[in-house]
Amino acid sequence: MNMDKKTGRHKTRISGSSQPAFLSTRKSTVLALVILVIICTAVASVFSVRLIPCTNGQPLRIEESSDHREDLVQLPVIKPLSTKQEVIDLKNEEVELAEQLMRDFPGSEESLVVIGNLCYRHGDVIKAMEYWNRALQINPEQPNVYKSMALSYMKKGQFDDAVAQFKKALEIQPELADVYVNIGHSLMMSGRPKEAVEALQKEIKISPNADFAYFLLGQAHLQQKEYQKAQEYYEAAIKINPRYSNAYYGLASACAKLGDRDKAKEYSESFKKLKAEERKHLKGRKIEYDDFVETQKSAAITYINVGRMYRENGKLANAEELLKQAAGYDPGNVVCFLELATLYQISKQPAKALQMYKKISEIQPEYPVSYLVIGILSAYLNRYDDSEEAFRKLITLAPRKSDGYRELARLYLKTGQNLPEAQSLAEKAVALEPVAANYFVLGWACYTNGDNAKALPAIKRAIQLDPDNKQYPLLYKQIIRRK
Amino acid sequence: MSILRARINMMQYLRKNLRYYFVAVFLLLHSSIDVFAESPILLRDVTSRTGITFVHTDGGSGLHYVMETVSAGLALFDYDCDGYIDIYFLNGAPLKGTEVDVAPKNALYRNDGNWKFTDVTEKAGVGDTGYGLGVTIGDYDNDGDPDIYLNNYGPNVLYSNNGDGTFTDVTEKAGVDNGHRVGAGACFLDMDKDGDLDLYVSVYLEFSYEKNVTLTTRGFAVYANPRYYPPVPDFLYRNNGDGTFTDVSKSSGVGNHAGWGMGIVCGDYDNDGDTDVFIGNDVAENFLFQNDGTGKFEEVGLMTATAYDLHGDEQGSMGVDCGDYDNDGFLDFYVTSYQGQLATLYRNLGTGMFEDVTLITGSGAGTLPHVTWGNSFVDFDNNGFRDIFVACGHLQDNVEKFDDTTTYTARNILLMNTGDGKFIDVSDQSGDGMKVKLSSRGAGFDDLDNDGDVDVVILNSRREPTILRNDSPSKGHWLQVRLQGVKTNREGIGARVKVIAGDLTLIDEVHSGRGYQSHYGTRLHFGLGNREKVDRIEVRWIGGKVDVFKNIAVDKIVTLIEGQGSG
Repeated sequence: MNMDKKTGRHKTRISGSSQPAFLSTRKSTVLALVILVIICTAVASVFSVRLIPCTNGQPLRIEESSDHREDLVQLPVIKPLSTKQEVIDLKNEEVELAEQLMRDFPGSEESLVVIGNLCYRHGDVIKAMEYWNRALQINPEQPNVYKSMALSYMKKGQFDDAVAQFKKALEIQPELADVYVNIGHSLMMSGRPKEAVEALQKEIKISPNADFAYFLLGQAHLQQKEYQKAQEYYEAAIKINPRYSNAYYGLASACAKLGDRDKAKEYSESFKKLKAEERKHLKGRKIEYDDFVETQKSAAITYINVGRMYRENGKLANAEELLKQAAGYDPGNVVCFLELATLYQISKQPAKALQMYKKISEIQPEYPVSYLVIGILSAYLNRYDDSEEAFRKLITLAPRKSDGYRELARLYLKTGQNLPEAQSLAEKAVALEPVAANYFVLGWACYTNGDNAKALPAIKRAIQLDPDNKQYPLLYKQIIRRK
Repeated sequence: MSILRARINMMQYLRKNLRYYFVAVFLLLHSSIDVFAESPILLRDVTSRTGITFVHTDGGSGLHYVMETVSAGLALFDYDCDGYIDIYFLNGAPLKGTEVDVAPKNALYRNDGNWKFTDVTEKAGVGDTGYGLGVTIGDYDNDGDPDIYLNNYGPNVLYSNNGDGTFTDVTEKAGVDNGHRVGAGACFLDMDKDGDLDLYVSVYLEFSYEKNVTLTTRGFAVYANPRYYPPVPDFLYRNNGDGTFTDVSKSSGVGNHAGWGMGIVCGDYDNDGDTDVFIGNDVAENFLFQNDGTGKFEEVGLMTATAYDLHGDEQGSMGVDCGDYDNDGFLDFYVTSYQGQLATLYRNLGTGMFEDVTLITGSGAGTLPHVTWGNSFVDFDNNGFRDIFVACGHLQDNVEKFDDTTTYTARNILLMNTGDGKFIDVSDQSGDGMKVKLSSRGAGFDDLDNDGDVDVVILNSRREPTILRNDSPSKGHWLQVRLQGVKTNREGIGARVKVIAGDLTLIDEVHSGRGYQSHYGTRLHFGLGNREKVDRIEVRWIGGKVDVFKNIAVDKIVTLIEGQGSG
């Protein structure tokens, strides 16, 4: 399922150009950011940054990480493709890369999946299925492979086969996202809306913001002439995605069937407006070069997948070159920068990792999590102004999340600046999310500002919530000592 | 010892079952595979025995001009009024960069009966060498014989039937050459109910060689989709009654809507006694022009829920036909489309609204991986329920190189109406005619051998056509109705016919131009199942009165003349 970010429009048809969601790394923003969140929590430990509250207002760092070279990552600047032959050459290059991967990791199911995915992107679905099947023979516990096979069957209109493969994926990973919704879609395409409803209900339990699932629920109920229910689901879809033109169309239909002509007309007008905007967006595309751009993007995906395998197997130099090449092919692909950032973190090159996260924030300036990591890494590299700016940006983008407030407070405590503000920020963090880390920083801020009365209950609460954290008792002892 | 016992057992078994063995072998040797057919519909490929040697050319030279791959339609009509349906194939023409020794042309084949056809193109004078895209048939001058209108890339052509087996090009006199455009479907209709046929001409897109768009997909040269070219409004010509036409596109309202029109069909969808027009727009919302009875049209596609599919997505609409698939007295629409989309069945709810019932009826079965073109609602087995035939074939001739989930050539699809509002795909069980795998485009459906069932003619891109004879074993009774207008247009185009036979009530209309840029079915066919007589036929003439004919025998072709029924 593809969603156009500009128009919010979903392609509900099974188009010739759609591909399994996880193959399209540009689109796997959610996946990338989940990884980012996981990495964020590990960033501190990777670089071994532990900040213990200072005494006498002086910051005191206990440990420091090993290396903060200022080397910049030189990313290749790759000329855009401009001829058919270049496209073919690049596709062949991808194939050679994947085949080399198979030679380097013989018998590995991951390499078979990589080449299978590549074949799929090249439109060679038969070969893709062969490789995927071979991968499953080695390791049948690969839900995403079953998912890819299922999506291939959907494209061919073989919906029963698609459902069977989706179910295999669920046997391994019952809460795998985007599976129940595709089962529902397949069942609808097979003229089985009642069964589709069951599957779609499961999807919205797993992914409460799956607007497509709500839309399909609307469709399924509309098909069964349950117009009231259909209306509710379309409205839910629009609540998540206010620019979902298909949902307005569904609402217009449902309201018409319910006899509410005024509402039907209103929704119909909204639908028309959104459609007109979509058409304008289409007109503006640089259409002559689409194939060249798409080929490079596909190549980037291959380089990312291969690079990831080398990284996971400890071949960091190979991985770095491949991932940089991926970034050159598709400078807008967040995942290659994320992969590079991970690589630089593993190899303890925080400045380079920071550069990569900054790239991510340039590509996706509205996503808060990257600013969290930028802030933490900048602080680690003593770039306090950058760190402060990043945390402030985080607060602006995610004012209802505590991370920005907590980390900015921590930064001020570390640098000994704006200490009263640090305490306010920490209090705000706790008010938003009363978790151990927030209580810890609150305790630290209160202690630093001389407010033992507040510091002690805060650190006690932190210890209560996270008794295994070795840092919290240290602060507790500091506070008690002063008291 | 045990081996010997096994051999003895085997010999005993064979002796016991020998007669069955020989019967099975006999059947295998002497029957066609059809004996194993499970479908009540059987279509046999009889192309090679017809004498038809036409081969379509798209006029291309590898430069991927868009009109190459969307060509062409065909017409089934009785040009010489001898009671046998003849065939007119459209052909492409050399495009820029293509050189030929002999210019390809359209071809007219006279039906000699017994599945023999003779090329009479030269004699008839209808071998147009223009780039053929769409065709329609209608007696525009009401002189008693059908005329031909060609919607070409380039100037269109109106051939007036001289009544003696020949035609005269009267385009210039009539004023309907429509300029140098990329044509698509065309229809004759009596839009203002004044007794003569007006002309609706669809235009696909705005094209010039200088602005030709070249594209690649995964490195392979492909035809650009129509969005790369500006959409254009269609044309509507009012018949002045004196052999000439007047362009009323703007004043009628149809000229105010630009689209990428392909297949079109005219029919009275709202049962208000006038002819409306449905246009399948490629890659955009379809248009449904509602006639106010005077030849003024309002576009109501969105309001009637025929513009988009169930999801609110535009389709790559190709061909469109109308027919009453559920026998509720209202005309439904079936629209073919692009790969990755289902051909769509719009059920007429009788309230002025439609509903996309494709998924719940199964009427899109098998269409998803293919590009689909010519289509029709046809009761192949005469059981009183209209089935659906879909012609398939990709428009990218190299598609397998970059997408192996589909193919350039494809088997056509036959969906049998189960009688309870659903369809099942019986393509695999309906004879060798359904195994032909070419890249089909226009399709026509008529009773070519006058044996009471509907046969199929398919134009295949760059290849010979496919002619399918209907040999369905379990035939029900039938009736074919040919209309003859007197005060209204001579062929009864636009007239609504209702056939009542016991508990069965069927409706149909005479259409001119339908399916994918084609024409067929001027003689209406009604499958009657086991009803042994027709109680009454009501004919509502466009712009005229209603005639009622009673107690008609079945299994025959009847001609109903305006004014000769009871009022």
